[in-house]
Amino acid sequence: MARGEGPPTESGSALQGRDAYSINWRLVAAVVLLQAILLVVSPPLLVFALIEVMIFALYASALNLLLSFSGMVSFGHAVYFGLGAYGLALSITHFDFPIALGIVAGPLVAAFFGLIYGILCVQLTAIYAAMLTLACAEVTYAVVFQWFDVTGGDSGISGHVPTMLGLAPYQFGLVVLCVVTVAILMLWRVVYSPLGLTIRAVGQNPARAAALGHGRKSIQLIAFVISAFFSGVAGTLFGIFHGNVFPDYVGVLFTVDGLLMVVLGGLYSFGAGIYGAIIYKLLDNLAAHYFQYWQLVVGVIIVVVVLVSPSGIAGLVRRIVDRFERRP
Amino acid sequence: MLLVQVMQGVMEGIFLFLIASGLTLIFGVSRIVNFAHGSFYMVGAFLTYQIYPWIAEGTALGFFVTIVICGLLVAALGLLFEVFLLRRVYHAEELMQLVLTLAAVLIIRDVTKFIWGLDDVSVSLPDALAGAAVIGGTYLPTYQLVMVGVGVVVLAAVWSFLKFTHAGIILRAATDDRGMVALLGTNQAHVFTSVFAIGCFLAGIAGGFAAAFESINYLLDTRVIVLAFIVVVIGGLGNFYGALYAALAVGILKALGLLFAPRLSMVIIFLLMAAVLLIRSLRRTTE
Repeated sequence: MARGEGPPTESGSALQGRDAYSINWRLVAAVVLLQAILLVVSPPLLVFALIEVMIFALYASALNLLLSFSGMVSFGHAVYFGLGAYGLALSITHFDFPIALGIVAGPLVAAFFGLIYGILCVQLTAIYAAMLTLACAEVTYAVVFQWFDVTGGDSGISGHVPTMLGLAPYQFGLVVLCVVTVAILMLWRVVYSPLGLTIRAVGQNPARAAALGHGRKSIQLIAFVISAFFSGVAGTLFGIFHGNVFPDYVGVLFTVDGLLMVVLGGLYSFGAGIYGAIIYKLLDNLAAHYFQYWQLVVGVIIVVVVLVSPSGIAGLVRRIVDRFERRP
Repeated sequence: MLLVQVMQGVMEGIFLFLIASGLTLIFGVSRIVNFAHGSFYMVGAFLTYQIYPWIAEGTALGFFVTIVICGLLVAALGLLFEVFLLRRVYHAEELMQLVLTLAAVLIIRDVTKFIWGLDDVSVSLPDALAGAAVIGGTYLPTYQLVMVGVGVVVLAAVWSFLKFTHAGIILRAATDDRGMVALLGTNQAHVFTSVFAIGCFLAGIAGGFAAAFESINYLLDTRVIVLAFIVVVIGGLGNFYGALYAALAVGILKALGLLFAPRLSMVIIFLLMAAVLLIRSLRRTTE
């Protein structure tokens, strides 16, 4: 954050007081219940869309940990998403892991690469670090794309895991709902734990955090690995959902998707990934259906968000909630 | 064979330089990392395809005139983008600027699709440039030689602009310390706008030249922007001359890589970029 207003300081945000940090279980239960009902009653096509929204909500939330809180920008986050799916696929096809173990391996592979690349990337700051994440991502993409014998190159890997584990769409949707809910709650715990406080401190002002004894590099590395791990969880789910994996999962388009979701959702708020994924996938599915040039629509919306309401949808929601709460 | 490949690399390097020099000038002055630069390049290519038949198709002079016109049109487009959109986020955080230029990429790409469709198009070279010259027993396409000449001319023009004109001095000063330039009474908004337009002009003419020897389609933007970023990063963000060396190095490396290790050529280039970034950071911390 070289200049500009930067992230809002804690005192100025709505997240003040002890209550704001603890999990609002009633809200969580309501959302999960609503989503579960939606999954059960919807026709399969809508269920597929809902599953995709949930998976991307997790991916974008993991990315948001970096963007909103740790003061890093990643231009290569699809790597950890895609490596989750590749970790699952390769551990089954090349190491004969049972599927259950492969599912565990996916996120761990993502976290491992998060550690390796993270060690390199935290050596730099601001735009230089972002460029290095891009370089790491492109190298990974090139290797995955070219190493035909192992990754299958362009044609990817499929058939290693039954699509949706052989469950009915709504059943798999409920599984995804459970995993994503737990993972997002864990991310919440991370952001609002003492570790998260340190991460946010480093994100807001590395010099002051360093004066308090918190080195930027180690804290940002921890955040990077956590983010890579949860991106890997999302990627593993995505790989199971489609029953395949392609180099595109590691590619720049998935990275851009994640970035746009977070900004649409609203930087510097925890819900950014969730709101962003919902809106973005809604546009993807609806606008693309009725209008050939849906990216134009997305582009215009993002321009409007950046220029008019930088706090995104999260900011809008917060304003509405505030207005209701002020009224007796 | 080697000479041909090196020559190919030099030509590609000159293209990269035309694109990356604009990118690096813009970054140097306004600290904007402009993802839309590749899109302006693409628009330049499509405009050349569109306009060339209207202006004396088949003659070399008409070709150059077309490219200059396209460069100016792209510069005008960049000017509008800067004045109406980008100017509002100079004080926002970096991510917002990046996302705004990303949004421009999406918008420009879909508008391009709308106007010119999804198929590849190409511009036929003017006859005068389509032949080949024999140098030292090898055939080199005339067009490549002309491109080298164009690269030298553009480099000389930008160099003398930076070195000798008043605007160039302000531009260099703004790269060093833009706050001080503003303090000394130069209108910063004008500096930012002009440098953005100049950068877009360079991207536009690069696109125009590219249109003549490769097929162009709506995917050109992303193909080019990543390479341009590599060049800018290796050369040093904001460093005009660094971009020249880096562009030639990347161009030749890529061409030779295609000859010796085609599967690894992009990997090598990205590893080079990563190595440069890390080595620079080490030097910074030891100082």
